[in-house]
Amino acid sequence: MEYIQIANSTPMWIAAGVAIALVMFQALIFARKSYNTGKTIGMTDTQMKSAMKSAMITSVGPSLVILTGLLSLLVTVGGPMAWMRLSFIGSVMFELMAVGFGAEAVGVNLGAGDAMTQVAFASAVWTMILGSIGWIVFSTLTADKMASVQDRFLKGDTSLLKIIPVAAMLGSFGSLVSGHLVALNKNTVAAISGGLIMAIVVQLAEKKELKWLKEWGLAIALFGGMIVAAIL
Amino acid sequence: MSDKRRVYEKDYLPYIVRYGKATGWLAVALSFGPAVVLAVIYGVLPPSAAVFAAFIAMASAVGINWFVEPISYFPIIGVAGTYLAFISGNISNLRIPAAAIAQKVAGVEPGTTEGNIVATLGMAVSVVINIAILTIGVFAGNSILVRLPEHILEAFDYLLPALFGAIFVQFALMRLKLAPIALGIALSLTLAVNAGWFNFLPGRPTYLITLGAVFGTIAIATSMHKREARRD
Repeated sequence: MEYIQIANSTPMWIAAGVAIALVMFQALIFARKSYNTGKTIGMTDTQMKSAMKSAMITSVGPSLVILTGLLSLLVTVGGPMAWMRLSFIGSVMFELMAVGFGAEAVGVNLGAGDAMTQVAFASAVWTMILGSIGWIVFSTLTADKMASVQDRFLKGDTSLLKIIPVAAMLGSFGSLVSGHLVALNKNTVAAISGGLIMAIVVQLAEKKELKWLKEWGLAIALFGGMIVAAIL
Repeated sequence: MSDKRRVYEKDYLPYIVRYGKATGWLAVALSFGPAVVLAVIYGVLPPSAAVFAAFIAMASAVGINWFVEPISYFPIIGVAGTYLAFISGNISNLRIPAAAIAQKVAGVEPGTTEGNIVATLGMAVSVVINIAILTIGVFAGNSILVRLPEHILEAFDYLLPALFGAIFVQFALMRLKLAPIALGIALSLTLAVNAGWFNFLPGRPTYLITLGAVFGTIAIATSMHKREARRD
């Protein structure tokens, strides 16, 4: 049997589907608990529904990018693995690297045009899994403990709690954006115009109290920045 | 402790930690599903030496991120976000943007009780949307992809840089003094890594940029805050 028939077989779809169902289940119970707790502490339905709507709108653009990645992965590892890996921890770059290392370990060099075999496919699957559980294991083990580390760092100064997340955001997105800024190519154009559009949209939405513009703001900035870079 | 804080710490967090741990360990188990299917149903098992070699290759390429990412994203996404994001992945390109826009639209500040709850809500929504889009995409498959003109697919490459620029600006507007510092640290570390100053470290040490920018900015923000507090 060709490896791709196994890769696209019903048992593989089921295995992938069960794993994805778990991710979905976790998101749903976390959402329900957050919504209910939000109401208990005095947030309004409008506030939270509006937040959910804007998260929904914002998720579409990045999800389409992930989808194009999924379709490129699908060619090599079949539908179920591509579907599962990109709904689980991981990214296209990571998965493609894992597939490459996994196949290479049994002597199949995909980059040089070797054909994938059953064993190479299985090796790629194991590599994708083992390469990514590190994130899940470490974060599952430490999430609650990191909270107490942070508390100890704060030493009761809760005013810092509002400053640290923003500082961390600026640091991590500063480092994500700086790679594109120093590249001096179309990515640089996209990063700068995305930022400029965001600045305009945020100011406008706040000055004129436009709720819809707040909800759509990030989507406008990321598609706007993308279009400017593509056209220039 | 305020009532809000009590609800958050005595009811919300324990629930999140209990289900977060359960779903985390279940996710580790279920991610092996496809490997088990290959072995049990199709009798395809790669040689363990090959899997080990491929795992070592992956660990040296990305292994440091298993620890660096959960630690450096924790101040942003908190306990619930860590459980959620390190199963579902796509943290910087999808989870955090969804969380950030949800907070902005709901009018709550990062780091507060309301902020944490709304961020979790936004991330959970993004998981649902993301999986829905990928599921439609994987079943509609390549038929969509081949119909899209080449230049539209190329344009998608610019969506992420635009997103990173936009998110950075959204938070820069909240802390105008801190933003140039964060970007300055990130840019200088990026240039230093690109120039090969850190080549003695294993892999391509881009994690240094994130670590340095996140914790450098947190340190500077903390000392700025303490100085301001002393002046008041």
